[in-house]
Amino acid sequence: MQAHPSYQALADVLPKYPRASGSLFQTYNDILLVQQWTDVEVVELEGISRAAITGKKPKTDATLYVVPCSLAETLSFGWLTTAFTLLSDPPEIFLAITSDDASIVYYKLSRGIVKPQV
Amino acid sequence: MTSTKARIHLRVANKKAYVWDVEDIATIRTKHRLCGVFTGTLPHLSQQNLFLGVPMVLLPEEVVLLVENEIAVLVDDPKAHIQPSVVELQRWNLKEKELAQLQLAQLATALENSPAVMSEEAVRKRKERELKKQAAAAAAKAAEAGLLAEADNSIFSPPENATAPPAVDTQYTVVIPASSTSFEWYNDSACLYTTVQSAKDAGIWEYPSNLHERAKCGVFRGLWEQGMYMGGGIKFGGDYLVYPGDPLRYHAHFSATVLESPTLSLPPMEIVAHGRLGTVTKKSHLLCGWDDEKKEVSYLSIEWAGFG
Repeated sequence: MQAHPSYQALADVLPKYPRASGSLFQTYNDILLVQQWTDVEVVELEGISRAAITGKKPKTDATLYVVPCSLAETLSFGWLTTAFTLLSDPPEIFLAITSDDASIVYYKLSRGIVKPQV
Repeated sequence: MTSTKARIHLRVANKKAYVWDVEDIATIRTKHRLCGVFTGTLPHLSQQNLFLGVPMVLLPEEVVLLVENEIAVLVDDPKAHIQPSVVELQRWNLKEKELAQLQLAQLATALENSPAVMSEEAVRKRKERELKKQAAAAAAKAAEAGLLAEADNSIFSPPENATAPPAVDTQYTVVIPASSTSFEWYNDSACLYTTVQSAKDAGIWEYPSNLHERAKCGVFRGLWEQGMYMGGGIKFGGDYLVYPGDPLRYHAHFSATVLESPTLSLPPMEIVAHGRLGTVTKKSHLLCGWDDEKKEVSYLSIEWAGFG
C-alpha cells in the first residue's frame, strides 16, 4: 500500500483509522482515477473514525462529499446524521460502499424528504 | 371535533378497527387524508378480491392518529350489540315479513307485465316440475307440521297469503344490513373510548405497545403532517409507500422504512437494496429515524448516485 502513488495523500489518516483504511483507500482511488474527479481532498471525520473525500465531478463546479464504508460494517441512522453534521450539513452526501473484491457502489443520501429525479 | 357524538366511530373487533359507514369512509379519506384498506367481499363471491367494499380496516397507525387528533373514537363493537328483547325481535321479524311480501308482490306484477317468452312446451314442462316440487314440499310440510307450531312466525317459510301466481317461485332476498347501527339492540354509548389509553385499559386495543410501534406511529404522523398519504409498503419492501397526494391520483414518490432509534443497526446492504429498488421504480427510499426521547422524526432520502 505504501508504494502506491495514492498513498502519500492518505498517509496521515490511514494509520489513524485502520478499520476504515481499506474502504478509504479503495474509494479514494476510484474517485480520483476511475471517476476522474478534480480537486480531490481528504477530510478527517473523527466522530465516525474515518476520513471523507471531497471533490468535484469532471466539468462541474459543485463540491461533493463522499463518505466511505465497508459492506461488512454496521451503520445506524445516527451514524449517517453524524456524517452530515461533521461535514457541516451539506444537502447531500455520497455513501461509498466497498467490498472485499474491490467492487464499489455509491448511493446519494439527502437530508429530509427529497423527491426522486424524474 | 369536541363532542364525542360528532366524532367518527371506529368499531373495534379483535383489536382491529373497522369503518362500516360509507359517509365516514369518505370523510376519513377526503378530510383526513387516510386511505385504510377495504376488506369486505360479497357473501356469494367471497373468493374474489378485485372489488372489495365495506368494511374498511384501518392501519393501527391511522387509528392512533385519528383518535389522538380527536377525530374518531373507538367502540367496543361486540359489547355494543346487546341482547335483544322478545318485543324487539318480534318487531324486527314483522318488518322482515312485510319486506318479503312487498318483494313478492313486486315480482308478481313485474312478471304479469312482461311478455311470455317461453314456448308452450316449455311452459308445460315447467308446470310439471312445479307440481312435482309442490307435492314434495307439501309432504315435507305435513311431516314437520307437528314440530313447527309457530311456523308462520318464521321468515323462512313462505308467507301463506303470498299473492304470487304458481309460476313464480316464492323466493325472496333477505337483506342483512352491513352496519349494525340500525338495530334496536345496538347501542355503543356505554362502550366508547375517546383516548388510546382508555381503550387499552379496557382491553380492546393494544397499539402502540412497544418502541417499534411507537416509532411507526410517530413516523406515520410526521409524514401525514407533511401532507403525505401513506399506504402499506409491502410491495416495495418498506413499511409504507408514501404518496404526495391521493393514491388514486398520484404514483408513490417514496417507499419508507422506520428506524426505531438512532442507534439501531443498519447494514450498508440494506441501503443498497432499498436504494437500487427505489431507483428502478422511480422512487426514492426514505429512511425515517425516530428519536423516542425527543419524539421527533428525521428523514434521509436514498437514491443511486448515478456513477460507480
